[in-house]
Amino acid sequence: MRLATTFSALLFFATSTAVAAQDDQPAAPHHDFRYTLSTIDDATFLSSLSPTLPASAGSLKAPSVTLFQNQLLIEPSFTFRYRSRWSLASSVAGVADSFRGLSAAEFEISPGNAAASAALNAALDPYTGTHMKFRVKEAYAGLSAGDFDFMVGRRIVRWGTGYAFSPAGVLDPPRDPTNPTDRLNLNQGRDMVKADYVHGPHALSLVWSSAALTPAKANLHDTTAFRYNILVHGFDTSLIAGDDRGGDAFGGLTFTRVFGQAWELHSEAAWREQCAVLIGAKYTTSTGVSFVGEFYTPPNTAYYRDSSISPLAGRQHYGLFYVSKSRLRELPGWKQWDLSASVVTNFDDQSYTGIFDATRRFGNHFSSYLHLEVPQSGKTSDYGSAPYSASTSVGVRFQL
Amino acid sequence: MSKINFVLHTFLALFVLGFLLTCTLISHAATPGAPDAEALLKRSDAYRNGWTSFVLHVKITHYESGKQDEEKLYEVSQKGTEKSYVEFLSPREKGQHMLMLADDMWIYLPDTSRPIRITPLERLNGDASNGDVAHTNYAVDYSPVYLRTEKVGADSCYVLELAAKRKGATYQRILYWLRVEDARPMRAEYYLTSGKHIKSATFDEYASVGGKLQLRRWTLYDEIRHNSRSVLEYSGIAPRNLPDKLFYQGRTDRF
Repeated sequence: MRLATTFSALLFFATSTAVAAQDDQPAAPHHDFRYTLSTIDDATFLSSLSPTLPASAGSLKAPSVTLFQNQLLIEPSFTFRYRSRWSLASSVAGVADSFRGLSAAEFEISPGNAAASAALNAALDPYTGTHMKFRVKEAYAGLSAGDFDFMVGRRIVRWGTGYAFSPAGVLDPPRDPTNPTDRLNLNQGRDMVKADYVHGPHALSLVWSSAALTPAKANLHDTTAFRYNILVHGFDTSLIAGDDRGGDAFGGLTFTRVFGQAWELHSEAAWREQCAVLIGAKYTTSTGVSFVGEFYTPPNTAYYRDSSISPLAGRQHYGLFYVSKSRLRELPGWKQWDLSASVVTNFDDQSYTGIFDATRRFGNHFSSYLHLEVPQSGKTSDYGSAPYSASTSVGVRFQL
Repeated sequence: MSKINFVLHTFLALFVLGFLLTCTLISHAATPGAPDAEALLKRSDAYRNGWTSFVLHVKITHYESGKQDEEKLYEVSQKGTEKSYVEFLSPREKGQHMLMLADDMWIYLPDTSRPIRITPLERLNGDASNGDVAHTNYAVDYSPVYLRTEKVGADSCYVLELAAKRKGATYQRILYWLRVEDARPMRAEYYLTSGKHIKSATFDEYASVGGKLQLRRWTLYDEIRHNSRSVLEYSGIAPRNLPDKLFYQGRTDRF
């Protein structure tokens, strides 16, 4: 209630000051409309897949198969802006998932074991047949009034500065270190009311986010968060504070800074019961090859712990090394190619995943890609616990 | 008589001395008619920055071995000499935008949903680099020195050597040919810190916009891969009252 009053007061103050500040100089067009349409067909082969079975089917021996997954994604998005003041935006994704290569027939079930058979069918359901899904990634309305911006709706917000890890990104979508750029654009935002005040180099953001519409398994709470951001002496610095309803209060500090011609440094520190720290750097060579390195150490608490980590394992230490080259223009005929490779590792159990990406553009609308993930180490380790030996994806993307 | 001789000798000696001194001064003095390089550079910038706050559209067409292979569209909003905001409009890059605040630069990519800091070296990526699109105030980024006057085609041009004076400069060194008649940019050569000649440019077409002569089309030639060039065409140039918050690095709710 108190928060709602605060937002209302801000809204009233902002609209009244904005009207007073208007002048006669040429302004933005009456209205603007932007849209994008992306269609992706992604074929993924999971090699030597051993599906995780429920306890009730524990007596069954999981076979090792190659699972073929085809995903057809249609992702339209638009933004409409009226008089530089009102805006309406939406980004959705329709996904058709088809699976081949895995069925209950692969398992040796005795005819009388109905319980195991039912459990098996339930466990395999997500990996067989065809499934349709619809995701609302973003849908929000905004009002810009003077130095204030307000928005209500579902929105992807990222306050973290890390590439593969982000302890301070309290409202960010979950970050997957093996897929930090969300290559199929399936991340969804959080439902929120947000107010921003930007004046000179200072920016203040106040957010109230509801978890009412999120699935229970996401384990999200209603969150109230505040951020102060300032660019000072080249340091893009943010202070973050907030509270999860029924959970913990938290605080964070982030910064990025460019040094010289080639170095960028970024860091995050977050406190939620205990401290989590990320330190990272990017180096670019004169030929356009970029290297990113990150070191991340989260505490072994419920909020930060990955599902594959034992609660008794203690503080964890992760590393990322990433190298990329966009447009191999130095090689004749390779100008339309982008290549990247990375390794993400857990130093404590010495498990890691190697990732390789290649993209080739065709004209102004089409591109194709290859994405390869190879997890290594024992089945009980952090990255080695992936139920396959390699994941290979090839795909075609159309953009309008 | 001897007094007359003394006066004549003295006069002759002074004349010879004066002549020699004049010759020395002429040979060592600055080249006659050397222009004010700073003023020239500022004047030439006005062909690409006609107003203190304005928007324009940039179309970049890449050619490889004479064949068109890619086309990109951008909307550039510029305020003063320190703030540029570029929205990417071509299909493959839609949703991306770039912000330049003095020496600092960010790019916002939809797949990361956050502004990413860009190092000066990353500004050089692409046939037409990020800096070629977003940073066109050379007088702010470079210190000019007049070198010589020479012909480019039928036009007499001043040749200036520009040296980067701040981190935000896209190139380390530029040789810049400006038409004597009106300081209009005619040609340029771009160099890296290593001294490598990376690109050349010709400034091909100008047009009157709101009573001001503005650059409409220029071509960048890749000097490393000689069969590659990019044509940059400007359109929709118009003064616009742009709010300061458009140029704030933390905002991601742009188009």
